[in-house]
Amino acid sequence: MNDPYQILGVPESATDEEIKKAYRELARKYHPDNYHDNPLADLAQEKMKEINAAYEQINKQRSGGHSGASGASGGYGGYGGAYRQQYGQSSSSVLQQVRIAIQTGNISRAEALLNNYGDHNAEWNFLKGAVCYRRGWLDEAKRYYQTACQMDPGNPEYRQALEFMENGTRTAYHPGDGQFGTELCGGNLCLPLCCLWSLCNGGGYWFCC
Amino acid sequence: MRPPVQDLPEEETERFRRAYCGLCHTLGRRYGSAARFILNYDFTYLAILLSEGKPEEIREARCFASPLRKRAYQEPDEAMELAADESVILAYWQARDGVSDHDWLHGLKYRGVSAVLEPACRKAAARRPGFDQAVRRQLAALGELEQTGCDSMDRAADAFAALLGSAAQEVEDPIRRRVLSQLLYHLGRWVYLVDAADDLKKDAASGNYNPVALRFGLTDGVWTAEARREFAATLDHSIHMMTTAFELWDFGVWQPLLETTLYTGLFRVGKAVLDGTFRARPRGKDIKKSKNVEESP
Repeated sequence: MNDPYQILGVPESATDEEIKKAYRELARKYHPDNYHDNPLADLAQEKMKEINAAYEQINKQRSGGHSGASGASGGYGGYGGAYRQQYGQSSSSVLQQVRIAIQTGNISRAEALLNNYGDHNAEWNFLKGAVCYRRGWLDEAKRYYQTACQMDPGNPEYRQALEFMENGTRTAYHPGDGQFGTELCGGNLCLPLCCLWSLCNGGGYWFCC
Repeated sequence: MRPPVQDLPEEETERFRRAYCGLCHTLGRRYGSAARFILNYDFTYLAILLSEGKPEEIREARCFASPLRKRAYQEPDEAMELAADESVILAYWQARDGVSDHDWLHGLKYRGVSAVLEPACRKAAARRPGFDQAVRRQLAALGELEQTGCDSMDRAADAFAALLGSAAQEVEDPIRRRVLSQLLYHLGRWVYLVDAADDLKKDAASGNYNPVALRFGLTDGVWTAEARREFAATLDHSIHMMTTAFELWDFGVWQPLLETTLYTGLFRVGKAVLDGTFRARPRGKDIKKSKNVEESP
């Protein structure tokens, strides 16, 4: 295993408090909530495992090898299984197969199955949205989730998916104190300064912008 | 894309500038001086994303933009050569696209550029056949969507996003390839949508294809509050996809620049485009004026 201090990005001389802080920051970054339905969620999960193991190892070393430290670490390890959305029961065997295909990352198969399925009910729309989301077709995903919610307003699974599309990025990880959002930033683009910073020493201003 | 200079220490902006100059030298060495004119920030970012992130080798040279004083630049490595080849292919097909989009007279500029770039592009395509084919395929798909007036902005953006995403296909490490493909896909999606938003007014006047206007039913190039909110949310979600990909790979020396660009710079550009202040680009004389202001103590 690699150096646990290196994994947490702290020197060996770091205090317990500093280590905890570094761990918390990394755990926030790779937390399953930040990789909800993300096509790269499996990689985030690996990272999280590595960070949890490193934190646990340091705690163990510092407490003189007592294994009790892992319980006190306050780790996020319990979230391990939450990176991939666990889908509920389907109303038909075909749609169940679609859910399995999405879960195993076989998006083309999921799409083919959906395209051959005639009954465009609420669940079909929801799954179509899930396929779009993984392809990066985020606007279409939201619209399919919307239709699913309109057809079956009481379904918590559909509502949660739509809610995530509408407000999910508000809680997205952001380093430091900054806010995540186009409409939330100061919008101070400072254009003249940007161009003024003439890349090619004066003569180059017509390259930029 | 632009480097968010006001949020970065000088050391990082200088590193970006050296990469920019390095890419310029790479283009010159591989494709002759004429190819240097395609240089822009977007291609520099491509070179940075494709690079290994190791500390760069710094050299110094004079060039036509700095004929008297030697300027430090990043000595090209394999990643920069890949970025240069892909940039030439992209620039050539962009120019070809411009020819087919305009009538004979207005297409002259694009015809000129594509004629100049043609031999360079042929050379680049021979070096990177996979990328050349992907660009042709996606641009043909995009042309078709424009012709039929496709009102799905995801579908329209997908062609450009997939095109940029394919720039990572030559990356060997499978994890790095996955991370870069995802990052570049959403970068392409974001660039395409922001470009379309920036062209709203112009396209409303000329009647040109604009997927954002069609998606939200904007006929006069003016945002409704609801459309703007929805559009900003979809941009934010693409940025979220980029940042989550970015955090899964170590970009080495480029970490500070990329982090600031993705978490701060893109929001700023998006906001400026939505506010309509992005177009207010200073002209050459204004730049000279503001330069004098800055240089005075």
